Amino acid sequence: MKKKTFFAFVGPSVLVMLSLIAVPLLGVFYLSLHTSHVKTEIVEVKSVVPLFGGLTKTTVQKVPQPVLDEKGQPVKVWEFVGGRNFDTVADPGGLAKALSKDRSQTADGQPARLGQKLHGLYRDVTDIDFWGALEFTLMYAFFTTPCILVIGFVLAIAVNSLVQWARGPIIFASLLPHIITPVVGSLSIYWLFLDNAVVAALLEQLGAGKIYFLKDAVTIRALIILYGIWHVTPFAFVILYAGLQTVPKDALQAAEVDGASRWQRIRYIVIPHLGALFSFITLIHLMDAYRIFEPVLVFGSNLFANSLQYLTYYILHFEDNYAKAGASAILTVIGIIILLSPFLYRTFRDQKGGH
Amino acid sequence: MLKQMPTSLKMANRTFLFFWVFLAAFPFFWMFLISFRSPVDAFSFPPKLFAPVTLEHFYTVWIVDGFWRQALNTTVITLGTLTVSLTIGCLAGYGLSRYRGSMGFWILIIALVFRAMPHVVMLVAYKPAFWAMGIWNRYETLIIVLVAINQPFTIWMLRSFFVNIPEELDQAALVDGCNRVQTFVKVIMPVMWPGVITTGLFSFLLAYNDFLISSQLMSGDHMTMTAALSNYIFSDDSLAKLMHGVAGAVSITIPLIFLVLFFQKYIVSGLTHGAVKG
Repeated sequence: MKKKTFFAFVGPSVLVMLSLIAVPLLGVFYLSLHTSHVKTEIVEVKSVVPLFGGLTKTTVQKVPQPVLDEKGQPVKVWEFVGGRNFDTVADPGGLAKALSKDRSQTADGQPARLGQKLHGLYRDVTDIDFWGALEFTLMYAFFTTPCILVIGFVLAIAVNSLVQWARGPIIFASLLPHIITPVVGSLSIYWLFLDNAVVAALLEQLGAGKIYFLKDAVTIRALIILYGIWHVTPFAFVILYAGLQTVPKDALQAAEVDGASRWQRIRYIVIPHLGALFSFITLIHLMDAYRIFEPVLVFGSNLFANSLQYLTYYILHFEDNYAKAGASAILTVIGIIILLSPFLYRTFRDQKGGH
Repeated sequence: MLKQMPTSLKMANRTFLFFWVFLAAFPFFWMFLISFRSPVDAFSFPPKLFAPVTLEHFYTVWIVDGFWRQALNTTVITLGTLTVSLTIGCLAGYGLSRYRGSMGFWILIIALVFRAMPHVVMLVAYKPAFWAMGIWNRYETLIIVLVAINQPFTIWMLRSFFVNIPEELDQAALVDGCNRVQTFVKVIMPVMWPGVITTGLFSFLLAYNDFLISSQLMSGDHMTMTAALSNYIFSDDSLAKLMHGVAGAVSITIPLIFLVLFFQKYIVSGLTHGAVKG
């Protein structure tokens, strides 16, 4: 295909991506370096103050007033502030203080153990919104990734050993958590764990006592992570299941003839064969885990668990501060580039090598 | 033939699968069940499997609260996104699959980085920009934004389908006197339907399931169903309102269940396409 024809074909798509992804990214960068305030001017206001006996006195006061444009809207001024918004979001000063704080003694003057020191450090660092959000985002990614790989793989092996007609319904049920709207999925689990809902009631009946799942940071975080596993395992399962269909049958049979056990066949033939799929799932899941949003909105609501994407949403929606949201967004983008860089580097090297 | 599994392993296998299917479906099953109950029965102690059925939550949500309007909005927006996304996506996917230069590679890599972007990042720019341009709260705006966000994924997937169509087909058509556009429309697209349906399903899901962008760019009468759910999310104080949320969530889920029922094969092939074919 000629270069000109190629550009004609990809043109509309590239144009849409440039104007609604690339340009906004630059715009966010611009916002993050500025701050806005309403332009004001000093106006002299004359007012007549009654004194006594019908006498009045005219006073002139100088009052700041917003400048209005021709439509009567206040004029906003954008002022360059450099890294100040980034300072507000990432709070390097607070971070340095948390890191350098003397933790050798506990509150009652006893020498602190290592565990107590680390706990204090952890608490002080995650108290800063941004670092707290980063912490839970990473925690979510690193807890869910191995779980979905292992459970997805076991599911794929289990379904693969079933007779053909039984596979369809199981795949159907498995797809539901992955396909159905994440907000609805999160809510459907949230509603199960309300204080008077089915799970708490059943546990109480079984004698586990009354558990308030949604009143405690630990259980809320555990629920968000469980939601993540529930939501993404079907994706890993379906891909690995498809991969299983491509494992060469004769290799498996040869191994069996040689006396390899079931586990050995899985360990030395199936898993290496699926290696590329495991890394593909990990890559896609890391990208998605990094921008986890819906379950945090439904369960955490900023108090108990926070994520990077939720933090920016919160600043944008509740604080209505575009400049600070911009800084938080740019920090998020830097994170995703760091996360993707090993993969991008490898692709880049392969491409150079291939030509 | 491989040896049969020992019975104990077979049993363990089935127990595990049964347990998984239960976990996967139970939250939705329970949501359905309680959406037809009065609040007292829905959160009773001990929980009941059977209780009197009522349609009052659905009536309130759809008729009194006007959910039908949001369902209409969702229909317009998902269909619009689907059409535009597939049209420009097919053009780009075809171009990317047939062009040999390094430009194609770079477009795909940049698209991959764009795909990883958290949507809220772009939203920070959209909010002030769309407000200033006066294109806030309009169908076209949300559609084109969803198309753009969807494009990186769409062109990757469509390209991988086009790559599977042998280039000899193009060559033959070109030799017979078709130009590129005619080749694309008359020869390639007719054999592309599985790829278009699969990619279309995922475009549909992205637009239908989106909460973040839709809830921020649309308000009032223009809200989508998913975004409108937020009206009910933070309403623990009133059990009746919470039940309306349950009915709304069930209404959103039903079309998706039919989608999985009818298109299961395509969804599975879509999920696996990028991975298994490389």
